[in-house]
Amino acid sequence: MNIYTYIFRRLLYMIPVLLGVCLIIFVLFNLVAPDPALLKLGKHGTVEQIAQINHELGLDRPLWVQYLDTVKSAFTLDFGRSWATQQDILEMIKLGALPSLSITGPLFLISTILSIALALLVAFYRGKLIDRFVLLLSIAGMSIPSLAVVLFGQWFFGYYLSWFEISGYESGFPEFIPYVILPVFLYVFVNFGADTRFYRTVILDEVYQDYVRTARSKGLSETVIMFKHVLKNSMIPILTQIIIQIPFLILGLLFAETFFSIPGLGAMIVNAVNNSDFPVIKAMAILSSIFFMLFGILTDVAYTLVDPRMRLK
Amino acid sequence: MSEKVLEVKDLVVEFRTDRGTVKAVNGVNFEVFKGKTLGVVGESGSGKSVTALAIMGLIPNPPGRIAGGDILFNGKSLVNLAPSEMRKIRGNKIAMIFQEPMTSLNPVYTIGNQIEEVLELHQPNLSKAQRRDKAIDMLRLVGIPSPEKRVTEYPHQLSGGMRQRVMIAIALSCEPDILIADEPTTALDVTIQAQILELMKKLQKELGMGIILITHDLGVVAETCDHVSVMYCGQIVESADVRTLFKHPQHPYTKGLMESIPSFDSTKGEKKERLQTIEGMVPSLFELPVGCNFQTRCSKATEDCKGAKGEPRLHNIGNEHTVACFHPLS
Amino acid sequence: MMTSTTKQSNSLFKNAILKILSDKISLIALIIVGIYFLVALLTSVGLIASSWNIPVTTSYAPPSAEFWFGADIFGRSVFTRVVKATETAVMLGVVVAIISIVIGTTLGMLAGYFGGWVDELVVWFYTTFASIPGIMMLVSIAFILGKGTTTVFLSLGLTSWVGLCRIVRGEVMKHKDREYVQAANAIGASTPRKLIKHILPNISHLLIINFTQTFDSAIKAEVVLSFLGLSVVGRPSWGTMIDDAKLELARGVWWQLGAATLAMFIIVLAFNVLGDALRDALDPKLKGK
Repeated sequence: MNIYTYIFRRLLYMIPVLLGVCLIIFVLFNLVAPDPALLKLGKHGTVEQIAQINHELGLDRPLWVQYLDTVKSAFTLDFGRSWATQQDILEMIKLGALPSLSITGPLFLISTILSIALALLVAFYRGKLIDRFVLLLSIAGMSIPSLAVVLFGQWFFGYYLSWFEISGYESGFPEFIPYVILPVFLYVFVNFGADTRFYRTVILDEVYQDYVRTARSKGLSETVIMFKHVLKNSMIPILTQIIIQIPFLILGLLFAETFFSIPGLGAMIVNAVNNSDFPVIKAMAILSSIFFMLFGILTDVAYTLVDPRMRLK
Repeated sequence: MSEKVLEVKDLVVEFRTDRGTVKAVNGVNFEVFKGKTLGVVGESGSGKSVTALAIMGLIPNPPGRIAGGDILFNGKSLVNLAPSEMRKIRGNKIAMIFQEPMTSLNPVYTIGNQIEEVLELHQPNLSKAQRRDKAIDMLRLVGIPSPEKRVTEYPHQLSGGMRQRVMIAIALSCEPDILIADEPTTALDVTIQAQILELMKKLQKELGMGIILITHDLGVVAETCDHVSVMYCGQIVESADVRTLFKHPQHPYTKGLMESIPSFDSTKGEKKERLQTIEGMVPSLFELPVGCNFQTRCSKATEDCKGAKGEPRLHNIGNEHTVACFHPLS
Repeated sequence: MMTSTTKQSNSLFKNAILKILSDKISLIALIIVGIYFLVALLTSVGLIASSWNIPVTTSYAPPSAEFWFGADIFGRSVFTRVVKATETAVMLGVVVAIISIVIGTTLGMLAGYFGGWVDELVVWFYTTFASIPGIMMLVSIAFILGKGTTTVFLSLGLTSWVGLCRIVRGEVMKHKDREYVQAANAIGASTPRKLIKHILPNISHLLIINFTQTFDSAIKAEVVLSFLGLSVVGRPSWGTMIDDAKLELARGVWWQLGAATLAMFIIVLAFNVLGDALRDALDPKLKGK
């Protein structure tokens, strides 16, 4: 089977999964959810008013029609309009994507490089003091709630020390930079613990493999062993881990965007929740799922390309 | 008379563990000569692999260290050598192959690359093309068919036997003075075993290196070794040339090992007997008995063996045959 | 042969416990976890922190010798509220972990054991669940159900079972063909009996490890729910206390944020360490050496 057949088969399998995702979303938002008309009008709505709103929102049509609607929106990426702002949702998403990426992009880059570098460092000096220290720091970092970090960080570095912008945003490069420095910095701190631990585990798994012993018996130095032998083998699981994080970048950061007033997709989701804006939440759920599935396929394809044992003939 | 390449003198290797410090190798002596094969025999845990790692300078520190004795390579001491100096010898003058060919090669580099790596490290004056040619030559030398094609393949495309051949090719590419083979055939099928051992003998004739063959399999020893040292609990209990050892074993442990080889010999005239085993189990290195380490399993043990006379030392009983026992068998 | 496998898993546990008790750090972690659970128990029956809702001093009083973490906007002792919130957190962690383990294990065992269309169905189901990024799923479910304790239980529980399901399915598929199950077959053991009595003990170590991880992620996820205003009502939680800080920090009031963060940090850290120690002790293959 060649690579194109493989990709095609995976894309094909994506369809029943996407249908399933739409089903879950549909069940949640069209079945289980409280009546949005009631939410809008409160207890004072008359029966006619409720029926009117339900009709406008298309909620009085048969269930299977509503389900198909959800499916249609998934395949055409037409999510309709926001109930709160009447904007076209796809447009909103396009507008919010860039600000979100201006934070998550650099965050992802810096975090990954830092974590891998740290992991290599402690794998090289495994068992020594620095290994234990970084491990302790990592576990500690993993245990602090991110909201606390954002709140405290914003207050301390932005307000108290006034080193950084507290909030606001300007689009366009490089104008956005001063606004994203602090959130990026804070989230690097939040994330590095878990990432470093993961990469450390991956790298250490390789370090204890037999082929490393062989490399040593050839007379290679520990540095060469780490950077030539161990790293290349480690890159396989590390790469897959990296690729799979990319689809999450568009979700932005719910906390940071809210508190730093950055008009990204995270803030959009939070606003939607506060405004009971069903279609926006639905849209983000579906869109992020699609990205996730696509990148899942990408990851597997990358795996087959990078690992000689997995090369498809 | 062959040239002596290696001399191990009173080697002691310690490991620090949660339960205390233990001597995995406790006073080991042997010599290796060019063109000759020394067999080091013993059960798991006898210290044979640790001895090999010590010679290669690969004892992980922590938790292990060479605590005593010396290792002389062509007269030069290896024990206190700086790590950068030792790296020049490793893979170059002294090479090692291991037990698990399936996992000993790096899965993401080609075979050619892995052979060329050693050449690049120790013979830097070779050009890339020369390295490639040498790699192909080595593959041919170890009996791998179509070496020009194989050289660009990855380890997972080869069988276990072939991978072990590649390991040998890597080990011998710089024409070392000593090849250490730690249970090289244990993980392979019996038929492949024979092939690999044949190959090693042939290469020894061609290249003239000394071989240290570590194994628990006496059959292998009989086939390939010139001289044998038997290890038990980190010490050598008997040492002799191969014929003498098999014909006149002196140490009760050696005798026990010989007798536990299943025999298909129906011409013996006796009724086929049950498989002989050595009673008891190898004592834990943390709880060695006072006196002779073998006393708990020895049919000939007396009061002398329990500490009154100290530990038995290796003494010569003629013809380079040494044994460490208070009551050798003859 | 059947008894030997249960004996095997029993000795695995004994060894693990001994190992943990002997390592100082894991022991401290275990003790901390024990203390938190004890505190939760005591507050739930009202033995301590019963005054969590009663104003005892001035609004936003700073930390003092009497009130270690000062007071909140209503003058209630922050320290007492943090202690009461421990009950919320422990209850949350335990219930969510149980929900997630029950769902994950049941589905995983069904899929792994029966194979065929049952397996296909379960795999499709959890693939679907897993395709929706956790945070979207969490937000969606919580949003639909509205605020409240049940919401927190359900939304967190329904988003944490997939990982375990996958692992259990894999393990059951492996164990299904092992000798001891075939031996049980030979004496005519029924399917549920085989699953529960024979296979389950051999995967129970995975469940325990998963418990510690889910407990931790549940506590941390509750903070997200608090932020969205979808967390528990009628009782304090660390998440709501941290979220409240967004209004307080501007006035220089840091003690509620500090207390809740500290309380959460300690237990999450302890469970993390414990989880690691358990993993090293119970499943050497997963060693994070």
